[in-house]
Amino acid sequence: MSRKPYVRQMSKTSWFLTHSRYKHYILHEVTCIFIAIYAVILIFGLFRLGQGPEAWQGWLDGLRSPLGVIFQILAFGFAMIHTWSWFKVVPQAMRIQRGESFVPGNLIIGAHYGVLAIISLFVLILAGVA
Amino acid sequence: MSTRTITIEVLRYRPEQDQEPFFQSYTVPCDEDWVVLDALNYIKDELDRTLSYRWSCHMFVCGSCGIVVDGEPKLGCKAFVKDYGDKIRVEPLGNFPIERDLVVVIDDFIEKLESVNPYLIPKEEKSIDDGEYLQTPAQLKAFKQYSMCINCLLCYSACPQYGLDPSFVGPAALALAHRYNMDSRDVGRKAREDVVASHEGIWECSFVGACSQVCPKDVDPAGAIQQTKITSAIDYVTSFLPGGNR
Ligand code: SF4
Repeated sequence: MSRKPYVRQMSKTSWFLTHSRYKHYILHEVTCIFIAIYAVILIFGLFRLGQGPEAWQGWLDGLRSPLGVIFQILAFGFAMIHTWSWFKVVPQAMRIQRGESFVPGNLIIGAHYGVLAIISLFVLILAGVA
Repeated sequence: MSTRTITIEVLRYRPEQDQEPFFQSYTVPCDEDWVVLDALNYIKDELDRTLSYRWSCHMFVCGSCGIVVDGEPKLGCKAFVKDYGDKIRVEPLGNFPIERDLVVVIDDFIEKLESVNPYLIPKEEKSIDDGEYLQTPAQLKAFKQYSMCINCLLCYSACPQYGLDPSFVGPAALALAHRYNMDSRDVGRKAREDVVASHEGIWECSFVGACSQVCPKDVDPAGAIQQTKITSAIDYVTSFLPGGNR
């Protein structure tokens, strides 16, 4: 008898709506767009700094404008989601074996948050905030 | 033992008469300790002999009864009906062509599995008289998790990357390549590299992580792939250093 396998096509544009774990994945991917935009704004700030005090002040005022503040709050929130969702899976990529056992995943995740806190504190001190 | 009447909706496809799959409902009196596979067996024995599905061991070892239960890839023998409502939807594994009813065509996976040389490649062949290749418990531990795979293909069913681009070597095959690469008795990493470190190999993976979430044997293929990416990236960088091969 001849065979006639049936192929179900996956939608290229809406597959991520078919399961909550795919939605989480897309959320995680989308958050990096805000981080990228924020990075571009920072680099643009350096460029304005090079153009002199007025240009720099203009850039600072832009950041302090309502729109600037709203964007930064959003970007911060998304950066937190991004951090959480990446740190959560670090132990899968980073297995540290000690003898016959592995360093517990929570310790590896905790260490990542620890380093993040130290670097953040350092930056805040450098910026004269803390 | 108490029974509960459950409607089992099965995606059916009979190639000789159907143009496309359709759902067929069966009313099944399920014992409280039944798994979905028991319900399928009941249907086959008592209600409809034409239903096709694969199974063998009924104890999470053979890897044949992979199906999708209420949208989630599961082993039929490990999905307890008590964890579901009064209506359970059963479909064949996603991302594979349907041969008939719940039976899918897995030739593509078998080819991919073969392509990663999933066997021990020792530095030098020993005769049986020379004894075993010895290994410490710690060396065993380094790869043991990745050797637990039963080729059930739940991970391929869950992997959107494989669904979108079937050229992807995929989770279980890459995890098994990692299993041998991590084995202290093996020197076959170079032989596996062409397939494993290619674009269709580890670099096609975007770390959705679904494979590891559905794996019934806690193999963590997603972890295996990310670890391979790290080793492969280090290989690439060191190849430019003095003494490297670039
Ligand atoms: S890695 Fe897990 S889900 Fe994938 S085939 Fe092996 S046992 Fe099944």
